[in-house]
Amino acid sequence: MTETASGDVQGKSRLTFADVVPDAGIPRAGKLSGNPYLPEVATVVQIIQETPAIKTFRVRFDDPEVQRNFSFRPGQVGQLGVFGVGEATFAITSRPSEKEFIQFSVMRAGEVTKAIHNLSEGDKVGVRAPMGRGFPVEEWKGKKILYVMGGIGSAALKATIEYTLEHRADYAGISILYGATAPQNFTYQYDIVEWQKRDDIDLRLTIDRECDGWQCDVGLVPAVLERMAPSPENTIAITCGPPIMIKFALLSFKKLGFTPEQTYTTLEKRMKCGIGICGRCNVGPKYVCVDGPVFSLAELNELPDEL
Amino acid sequence: MATKFLAQEQLPALLEALAQGARVVTPVKSDGVVQFELWSPGTEVELDVLLAKQSPKEWVFPQCETYLRFDYTMAPPAEGAEGEAALPHETVHLRTTNEAPRQVIFGLRPCDARGFVQMDQVFGGYGGFYFDPLYNARREATTLFAVTCREPRSTCFCTAVGGCPAGQEGVDALFTEIDGGFLVEVLTAKGEAALAGVATAGGAGIAAPTGVTAGAVTGGALLDATEAQVAQAAEVKMAASAKVEPPFTLEGIRDNLHDNFADSRWHDLCMRCISCGTCTYVCPNCYCFNINDALVETKGERYRTWDNCFNPQYTEETSGHNPRAHKANRFRNRFSHKFWYYPDKYDSLLCSGCGRCIMHCPTRIDIREVLRVMGTPVAATAEGKEA
Repeated sequence: MTETASGDVQGKSRLTFADVVPDAGIPRAGKLSGNPYLPEVATVVQIIQETPAIKTFRVRFDDPEVQRNFSFRPGQVGQLGVFGVGEATFAITSRPSEKEFIQFSVMRAGEVTKAIHNLSEGDKVGVRAPMGRGFPVEEWKGKKILYVMGGIGSAALKATIEYTLEHRADYAGISILYGATAPQNFTYQYDIVEWQKRDDIDLRLTIDRECDGWQCDVGLVPAVLERMAPSPENTIAITCGPPIMIKFALLSFKKLGFTPEQTYTTLEKRMKCGIGICGRCNVGPKYVCVDGPVFSLAELNELPDEL
Repeated sequence: MATKFLAQEQLPALLEALAQGARVVTPVKSDGVVQFELWSPGTEVELDVLLAKQSPKEWVFPQCETYLRFDYTMAPPAEGAEGEAALPHETVHLRTTNEAPRQVIFGLRPCDARGFVQMDQVFGGYGGFYFDPLYNARREATTLFAVTCREPRSTCFCTAVGGCPAGQEGVDALFTEIDGGFLVEVLTAKGEAALAGVATAGGAGIAAPTGVTAGAVTGGALLDATEAQVAQAAEVKMAASAKVEPPFTLEGIRDNLHDNFADSRWHDLCMRCISCGTCTYVCPNCYCFNINDALVETKGERYRTWDNCFNPQYTEETSGHNPRAHKANRFRNRFSHKFWYYPDKYDSLLCSGCGRCIMHCPTRIDIREVLRVMGTPVAATAEGKEA
């Protein structure tokens, strides 16, 4: 202290942040102006009962200009809320090319999802979207894409599946492994029927336990994945589902020879602001709402183990 | 920028002059507790107690703030509508609210001012992130007149985190107590503008920057400082700085927090924590918040409130899964946020060394000890234990 006290006591920092923050002092302006907390009012235009616990909501922004200009990247999320109850984060499940509405699939679980499930067509909602980082689908051109998903995890991958199907010629192959506890718990059954008819999609469905009339696979997703034994060559593997399924699917990918760079998942966390400020969805220094929700396994491996 | 002298007895007149164009907030002692409160003529400013119980954070980032009001109504059908469209339908009207009155905070300490500078990063959208209009409107309307810490406390550690008892970061004018009054160093255009309406005597006044109209205000005479007064203030500052011995070194702290992430010492350190969150509420830098809705019949509002990262529900997901289910995880997150995660994302630490968390912790958890322990490589501690 004695040496430094005789120096700049006027108060300029004597200890620099240089060892803590390498580029300290460089002001970098924010990218967004306006009010990121202000939702756009939208109207529920269609509700689809997907499974006993999951409904899909198609909503249209009340401001036609907002609706017209809305675009998002597959994998991005949005905050859907009921005024008076609150907002929560959901994957955007519409096709990125869809201009008429924006779609969310919601499993009834807590306060906000209960209020959303109670909505009728014509009701008003608030939407803040798109948010977060989507999948790098352009980088994947020429590769085979393998989707491995369970339960409501299909919602997080739906827009990406649709995108790659719309741009089918850009990708060397599309495989989908989808698992649910029982046949009635598959979401998007109307789409699955169409996918089954196509010969350019390798579709595998599995349920946890045998069931009368079921003709597809039986077994947990990671086990079926290992039976499928897809080749990691020129392939991107993407998984989403319950945390326990993701954990074991990632292990199966590793076993099958997929590198962390080839393996992607999308994370879910409790979120409030959705814009990287309120502080709760961090995994170490990364915020799932702005730095994710999409992460490659290579990126996740860099983060502290606090999922 | 000007350097002035304000006689002790002129302080109320100065505050009164400032209060003509802004609300003035100062530390006030009431029932033995010092807090930042709205000043009005006759209010006694408390500067003998070094730190108010809480920093003036809440005047820029309120504990509870409503930012959206909504109103459900039934709208009549459009003219000539047929079928379902001919029925009245539900609409919702939104109104944003963001009150940002002009204010001068007088009597905060340099560490409190620095707390705002550190928070500015996350709310200001630095690094390409989102700009928070709620915080920034009030921050912009706030002028900070800090007072040099003459007698730092044993819990102060500003010097360890890059500050000092006469620090100028974020300070618009610095007041240093000397014989008979204060040496006033005007440091920013904002400080100049706030003082522009204050009468000056014995020399040139503080010129208002272009575009600022000075009100016709009298009182609060600022005199030109003499050389002796400037020299005395420098001595006061130097003496104060010498009293704050840095209790730990910043160097390597981030890397060691990273390397010690899974270390069992976190469990030992958090043992006596009762997750009350006092440290987060008194902290000038803790900014994590919650958002909630309230609705009464057809009218409601959306508001944000300070949150406490020690609360298990802070990260608990609807499924029941909680990434920070254990107290040690949450404890680790708070210190890692301040000295690892935040510096990773922004150009700043998230601690200005005020020591309030040490003073007010009911179980006497000491951030300096936590950083000394966890900011040290595992190997070094093992050797230390052997020695």
